[in-house]
Amino acid sequence: MSLLAEKDVKYLQELFGKELENKVKLIFFYGDDCEYCELEGQLLDEVEVLSDKILVERYHKDSEKGKEYNVEFAPALIITLEDGKDRGVRFYGVPSGHEFGTLIQDIVLFGKNAKPQLSQETIEQLNQLDKPVKISVFVTPTCPYCPKAALTAHNMALASDKVTAEVVEAGEFFDLSDQFGVSSVPHIAINRNPDKFFIGAYPEPQFLQQVLDLSE
Amino acid sequence: MGLFDIGPLSSDIKEYYDFVIIGAGPAGLTAAIYARRAGLTALVVEKALEGGAVTQTHVVENWPGEISIEGQALGQNFANHAKHFGAEFHYAYAQKVTIDGEYKIVELDDGHSIRCKVLIVATGTQPRKLGVPGETEFRGKGVTYCAACDGYLFKDKDVVVIGGGDSACDESHFLAKVVKSITIVQNLPYLTAAKILQDRILSDPKINVITNHVVKEIRGASKVEEVVIIDNDTKEEKTIKTDGVFIYVGLSPMTQVVKGLVALNEQGYVITDEHMETNIPGIYAVGDIRIKGLRQIVTAAADGAIAVEHAARKYF
Repeated sequence: MSLLAEKDVKYLQELFGKELENKVKLIFFYGDDCEYCELEGQLLDEVEVLSDKILVERYHKDSEKGKEYNVEFAPALIITLEDGKDRGVRFYGVPSGHEFGTLIQDIVLFGKNAKPQLSQETIEQLNQLDKPVKISVFVTPTCPYCPKAALTAHNMALASDKVTAEVVEAGEFFDLSDQFGVSSVPHIAINRNPDKFFIGAYPEPQFLQQVLDLSE
Repeated sequence: MGLFDIGPLSSDIKEYYDFVIIGAGPAGLTAAIYARRAGLTALVVEKALEGGAVTQTHVVENWPGEISIEGQALGQNFANHAKHFGAEFHYAYAQKVTIDGEYKIVELDDGHSIRCKVLIVATGTQPRKLGVPGETEFRGKGVTYCAACDGYLFKDKDVVVIGGGDSACDESHFLAKVVKSITIVQNLPYLTAAKILQDRILSDPKINVITNHVVKEIRGASKVEEVVIIDNDTKEEKTIKTDGVFIYVGLSPMTQVVKGLVALNEQGYVITDEHMETNIPGIYAVGDIRIKGLRQIVTAAADGAIAVEHAARKYF
């Protein structure tokens, strides 16, 4: 049985047909003893056929490719342009529920040559960063505010090569979430430091301010 | 909610719309439907998801024509209806409104600014803070206001729900499917939720209800560990061990975007006339953010219709 409803398939085919100007690559990493890898694999099979501009590659997490992309957990999904260059946009855990919407928006973003949808002020401030910043957005599939935080982070990664942004499905990575003390999502940790975090889908300027303050 | 939701996608945004509607809940989406049917252009600006707070409601059983429908599905129906008639959507925070003659200018957090002739504010409400020690300190460390978002993170754990109204009872019913146990703490001697919601939780063996107690403090070391409550009559203190605290003690209006611009009452709700127009001509407020006797989906939708009917005659 297919995961995507028939009407959604039709809608997405039309959407991608209209919106995607260039090819988008989805690089999927699966692993051993991975409860959700099969589900994500099937989802990507169904996404791949929605448009000839969507390319899906599949690797084991411990493969050479996995090392090249510094993949820590599975399932992982890295979104790039056709050249495969890591732009710092990834998911750990299946982009399901409301996060499927984030994946769709990511595909559309990359399909317009990965141009960040942020205000000029935000882009300028991100371009002044002089050291790497990792944004980890912990989400749940049922959280309606999470896609805003996830997309803001992904856009920031596109705006600056200093920024990487990972969206982590808290329920799938329970131990990691526990380590970061996640009990309310979106929970945004900076530079993988459990003490440097903020909670909530802030508007873009405030989100940026938090990221800048916490990464200092 | 579906296993895979496509979610919102912004339209290519234009510089001018006849109506800009802030908030994609039942009030805002009804306004969009009426505006489009009047032949006027409408942009809906939403910060989270289409459907508004309705999508957070587990089941809706008082929207006429639907005996029982998931809040998520009803919210999506409203949005699809507005789109069907050509309303456009943009997903961003509306940060600020300024007036330029007969036009209003709405500034968004992603850098866009849009002109409109009529602005409809339908931003709704947000959970009210309880206002006890520990609440702010443990926000994100066990204190939460969103069962749909965070319920799963308390799988097989013991939680306290504070409040006794519709939201507290409905959310407890939802949480009971995931958590180990729920203790509801209500300050009044009785629950105030609709009878049907009360019956549901009173018959659930996972849920224990403590009435007539107020919360004194939320305590813990690095995260929530206990809630201290006081008996209203005997003043006796009790401590409940818990892993999480879900707070549902009512709502407060989200008026930040028009604060200082339109008149509000003491509680912060927007003052409107019978046509939903505020003291600023061409700015309307609809749904839960305005002063009204009953905050329901059906009254929110009515507000949206009344506002647009009036504005379409007066300003176009």
